Amino acid sequence: MLQEIHIRLAETRDNTPLAINQRVPKIFTPGEIISEQQEFMRGHGTYEEDIYLKASVAGIKEQVNKLISIRPLKSRYNGEIGDVVVGRITEVQQKRWKVDTNSRLDSLLLLSSVNLPGGELRRRSAEDEHMMRQYLQEGDLISAEVQNVFSDGSLSLHTRSFKYGKLSQGVMLKVFPSLIKRSKTHFHDLPIGASVILGNNGFVWISPTMVNQEDNVGGFTQNLEEVVPRGTRETIGRLRNCILALAQSNVMLFDTSILYAYEESLKYNVAELLLPEAMVDVAILTQHKLNLSEYS
Amino acid sequence: MLTTKIFIRKNRAGNFLKNIREHYLRDDIHCGISNCHDCPPNSNISPATHENKCSLYNFNHYLVLDTNVILHQMDLLEEDAMCNVIILNTVLEEVKHRNLPIYKRLNNIMENTDRNFYLFPNNFHIECYIAQDKLEVINDYNDRCIRRACTWYMQHVPDAKFVLLTDDVANRQLAAEENIYCCSVENYVAHLENCGSLQDKLAHHDGHSISKSDDIFPPHLTTLEIHKGIKENKLYQGVYHASRDNFLEGYVVVEESDGTPMQIIVQGRVGQNRAVQGDVVAVELFNVKEWTAPSDLVFEDEGLVESGVDEVLRKEAELNVGKGKKEAEDRKPTGRVVGVIRRKWRQYCGILQQDGDASGLYQLFVPAEKRVPKIRIQTRQGVFLRTQKIVVTIDLWPRHSRYPEGHFVRALGAIGDQATENEVVLLEHEVPHNQFSEQVLKCLPKLPWIITDADVEARVDLRDIDICSVDPPGCTDIDDALHCRPLTKDTFEVGVHIADVSHFIRPGTALDVEAANRATTVYLVNKRIDMVPELLSSNLCSLRGGEERFAFSCIWEIDKNAKILNVRCHKSIIRSRKAMTYEEAQITIDDKTKNDSIAISLRNLNMLAKILKRKRLENGALVLASPEVKIHMDSETMEPLDVEVKKLFETNSMVEEFMLLANISVAEIILEAFPDCAMLRRHPEPPVSNFDPLIKVGKNLGFDIKVDTGKHLAESLDEAVNANNPYINTMLRILATRCMMQAVYFPSGIYEKSNFFHYGLAVPLYTHFTSPIRRYADIIVHRLLAVTVGSDATYPDLLDKQKSKLLCNNLNYRNRMAQYAGRASVAFNTHLFFRNKVQDEEGYILCIRKNAVQILIPRYGLECTLYLAEKGQSSAYFQYDVEEQTQKCGDITLHAFDPVTVRLSLDSSNVQHEKFVLKLVHPYIEGFSLPPLNVPSKRKGDSKNKNKSHEKRKKQLH
Amino acid sequence: MSRKELLSKIGLRQDGRRAEELRRIRCKLGVFTQPDGSAYLEQGLTKVLAAVYGPHQVRGGRSKAQHDAAIINCQFSMAVFSTGERKKRPRGDRKSTEISIHLHQALLAAVKVELYPWSQIDVYVEVLHADGGVFPACVNAATLALIDAGIPLKEYVCACTASLANNNVAMVDISNQEETLGGPVLTVVALPMSAKIVHMEMSQRFHLDHLPKVLNLALQGCKDIKAILDDVVRQHVKDIGSSTGWSQTNRKQ
Repeated sequence: MLQEIHIRLAETRDNTPLAINQRVPKIFTPGEIISEQQEFMRGHGTYEEDIYLKASVAGIKEQVNKLISIRPLKSRYNGEIGDVVVGRITEVQQKRWKVDTNSRLDSLLLLSSVNLPGGELRRRSAEDEHMMRQYLQEGDLISAEVQNVFSDGSLSLHTRSFKYGKLSQGVMLKVFPSLIKRSKTHFHDLPIGASVILGNNGFVWISPTMVNQEDNVGGFTQNLEEVVPRGTRETIGRLRNCILALAQSNVMLFDTSILYAYEESLKYNVAELLLPEAMVDVAILTQHKLNLSEYS
Repeated sequence: MLTTKIFIRKNRAGNFLKNIREHYLRDDIHCGISNCHDCPPNSNISPATHENKCSLYNFNHYLVLDTNVILHQMDLLEEDAMCNVIILNTVLEEVKHRNLPIYKRLNNIMENTDRNFYLFPNNFHIECYIAQDKLEVINDYNDRCIRRACTWYMQHVPDAKFVLLTDDVANRQLAAEENIYCCSVENYVAHLENCGSLQDKLAHHDGHSISKSDDIFPPHLTTLEIHKGIKENKLYQGVYHASRDNFLEGYVVVEESDGTPMQIIVQGRVGQNRAVQGDVVAVELFNVKEWTAPSDLVFEDEGLVESGVDEVLRKEAELNVGKGKKEAEDRKPTGRVVGVIRRKWRQYCGILQQDGDASGLYQLFVPAEKRVPKIRIQTRQGVFLRTQKIVVTIDLWPRHSRYPEGHFVRALGAIGDQATENEVVLLEHEVPHNQFSEQVLKCLPKLPWIITDADVEARVDLRDIDICSVDPPGCTDIDDALHCRPLTKDTFEVGVHIADVSHFIRPGTALDVEAANRATTVYLVNKRIDMVPELLSSNLCSLRGGEERFAFSCIWEIDKNAKILNVRCHKSIIRSRKAMTYEEAQITIDDKTKNDSIAISLRNLNMLAKILKRKRLENGALVLASPEVKIHMDSETMEPLDVEVKKLFETNSMVEEFMLLANISVAEIILEAFPDCAMLRRHPEPPVSNFDPLIKVGKNLGFDIKVDTGKHLAESLDEAVNANNPYINTMLRILATRCMMQAVYFPSGIYEKSNFFHYGLAVPLYTHFTSPIRRYADIIVHRLLAVTVGSDATYPDLLDKQKSKLLCNNLNYRNRMAQYAGRASVAFNTHLFFRNKVQDEEGYILCIRKNAVQILIPRYGLECTLYLAEKGQSSAYFQYDVEEQTQKCGDITLHAFDPVTVRLSLDSSNVQHEKFVLKLVHPYIEGFSLPPLNVPSKRKGDSKNKNKSHEKRKKQLH
Repeated sequence: MSRKELLSKIGLRQDGRRAEELRRIRCKLGVFTQPDGSAYLEQGLTKVLAAVYGPHQVRGGRSKAQHDAAIINCQFSMAVFSTGERKKRPRGDRKSTEISIHLHQALLAAVKVELYPWSQIDVYVEVLHADGGVFPACVNAATLALIDAGIPLKEYVCACTASLANNNVAMVDISNQEETLGGPVLTVVALPMSAKIVHMEMSQRFHLDHLPKVLNLALQGCKDIKAILDDVVRQHVKDIGSSTGWSQTNRKQ
């Protein structure tokens, strides 16, 4: 099979940022003095030294009354209650699972926070504890919601809703959490035959749209036998590449931007979308389209 | 401000390596022209005051030189007439790469601001840098860089003019195309104002005369061929040494593949092939069949100014005749020089050959060093230069020329003049003897010099102690003084006080750098070349009687058996009660009526010194001897009045003992404090083979000389006494001295401790501490000691092992040269003394050779050869016995060490190489010996009018 | 006297710099998408990539985890093609291990590890081309990668070398050529804003008298480097921020 191989030097890489917002707030970098007064409270990304309040990360200042924090534009996922996350089981423990959610510490999914087969209000028995690995084992992907944030920063998740639970066939990709735009819903059934879960933690799940939603009981069923048709698979692949292209150019991810990118990408075949030029092209066109729609 | 240029080089290190380096190009480089408006102002650029006046150009101009001009015409550039010169960095780098000494000389010129030489780093200048083309040869590239810089200058400073000097015709042509003024050096100099003397200094690299005659010498191999040959072991690389006696013979010292040294003889015009003494050459070894023995013929190059090669050819033929007769076992490896790898040409002292037309343009120069060939020079002042000793340098040696071609550098003075001869001695031994520079003199303390309270605070006050110094008469640089006082009934306090020179010479100053370079004070017969300026050497540092001086004291507590109980060192202030001579001190000791404190302490010192000496000798220290003489000079005419052997008193040995003790004590202290960088002095044990001549002579005299250890040697020398001839023992010691190795300075870090041993003194550690005024090593030792006793701080170079090693190398070299220079000076003055004199003298036979006996005349410390026959022939009177080492004539037999009487006269036929001629007087041999002169030789030295005129010559303390 | 002197009479070095000039520094943040933070840094011809993962749950052997601070795991490696002669082992040799340890030490001084108990931060640096000052380049690149990852630092931690030319003049940022020509190399890792020295290392000894000037020049070098890095960081933040529309600030509007 003939394949074209592209080798590009780093020097020739196109790095022009897609500036959509010319208003530049003041940027702080680590060690920089934010304030010399002591009346402020120190928030995230700041620390006090001597009499000064200093930044510890590179980012922009956010102030809520007297609380000053510096938000880096990129960091590990900092969970907040109600966030939708996609995660991967890393460990099965007594009465709980450990889940990698791209945050600083693994999140917890308590046995009591999941809907077990057989009804929402079922009592948890000792048997269930033994059965835990049957429900979810290491490596399994789930979608869940942040139920609580512990003092050490780790998250407690729950899947007590039909939309959450174990994920079966699809593709997962990682982007920086800051690129996921917060919106009312992070579950999107796109009109092109695929669904996307945009986890707030930067994990994005793309899967074929389920037809029979009712069967899913927020449960632990996985249908791996069903063959996803080629067309759908291509769509999923294209979506994945589009999202990567947007992420690379730091375009915010939400349903519209993904759909726009998908539309703009149609002039390339799926594999071509991995070329840097195509990726930048798609990102620029998407951004352009978003700007237009914003003003119209 | 910075731009990057990356260039790739391929280095061969087994395989190809890609070497990438950054090369920043700058836009902040000043062009060096004072009235330039475009460049940022720079206070370092001085305006050009000098105008270059050359009739080729009717305007003032700046000169730009190419590499070869600098390499070849250095003597010209050193003339003050050459000013306003721009040196391009491209050129400088190449000069440095090709010839380091020239590079250093160029740097010296550039430092002189009056000359207005400006170094322009063109290869870092953003507008002058050009990349090398792929196929461009480096020389072409450099020339292109030079031209690029010229054109840039022309456009950068339109009001100034620039002239490119180059001898490369092709380069001139290309430059002319770019409208650069350019010209050859010869042409330029010829049109310069007052060019007369400058023209003599021109080096002619195209050869003086294009001879029509055929090439006399075979061509040299190219560098590439030489490398290949050496790699394939077909050729050897080594240093060429010319023979002193035979100008057609020389040898090359090479290393065989297993590292053993081998001498390859090269003979004749073809064999030597233009190699000059000291050159690194490539030689080809002949087949064993063609090997020959070193010739014992003496050939002098009698070449006349206008002569051709005929003489050489004739002598070569003579040389070849001799070859066939040689015994097979005498044959030595023989070969021929096929190429010169590195020339070691330097500047040579000598005179012009006196025959031929004195006013001719071409003159033949005869170097004082016999191993250097005559040199042909071009001069317009031949008549004058024939009366002068001059300095000449070699430029080149073309194949068609019998002699190397060179040019005149400078005149030293009239031939035979004492000042001139001193100059020659100093030059030939590379003794730095210029006046101290302004910078150096600035480092001196201001007069009047007073001792401040802070000084007193920092030092131990010993002014109340009765200290005195004992030195040779006329000594002005007194660097040591002594005291001794009883502590208890059985113990004494003995102090050695050394001038605190390191107080005045601070590290890193110009004075320090100069002293480190000079390394030692050099004593010629009538001249002293100081290591430090006179203010220090003869005044502030000199521990003169009755004056308060700074000293570094080393003080022992010692019991009456001369056992050392403890030692301490510190800086001090002393006032010497009296500066005595050895003789005065001796008289004081011997005069029982004197009982003042000085006399008593001298007696005690003397008593202790005797015990110390005995102990030392018991340990195996050697007592060596060398015939040292002093020359009495007439104070007005500075002519030598008499030559006599130095007188030794007991006090000499007394002072020496305590100096040794101080040196040893200090060596121990500094080694403990600085195990890595203490400056010590070692005297390596000579290899046993060195002693062969001594053992042989001893055996013939019936003495068994053991040489396995120093102690045994010392003992057997002590036992070798012949009651009939007391001088025999001294002679043996003289011989033993010649078997020794040189003692050397070294930083302790570079050898194992077992190698620190001082063989001659038989001590495990030794250093020099006691003469800082005249030896730089002592200054370093003082500094080290000052640190250990907490009165001074270290500085970087003091603790740097590599730097110390380099310093030691220089000190050792300078010391050796100073010794040679001293001897050469004595020899010259002895010759001067004997001019037009004929005397009968007592002497002893030092050794016996096939056709001569070597005779030592103790009275003058002379060693001369008494020829029993013409060279190369066997004597008509004497028979030589190889086994017994005797010469027999009838019933008279000459043994080694036999006393003889000889008639001494000077042969002045060769102006540069006067030599003594000996004739035998006693024992009387009919037909060979001469009758004694009627007037018995009488000591002239007894008269009293000469005491102040000689120089102190301290014997180098081991 | 060696044939090549480190600093010529006119005060230029072998490569045309003056004694107190750094080599050209070019760098870029966020060169990878997989790690949490990454940076590429060129200091002269020395080229280094750095990637930071974390802070994340301590993986493999919980025993290493600390209850009061994050642990930093550093790995230094040199690409086999990074030196003139091809290297046999890219990592794990004595020198690499040593540099890893020093890097760990340097970063520990700046990262506010106390904020992340039970966590781990991985720092990987890879040398693509070594041309002198490898370790300082790694420190500088790692700092950038940490900042890119949004990990809180007290301040920039920067490193720089300095040496002594002609045994007298201090010069900064030593290239490979200058390293091989000799001269002791002093490597200093510092927190340039508070002028605290984190780590100091010398290749050979020189006299104490020279230390102040060499050290000061190295510190000045660290400060200069910090200014260069800071510019790049600000530009990077600006670029990202304007592409994402300063994203989450919009949320509240």
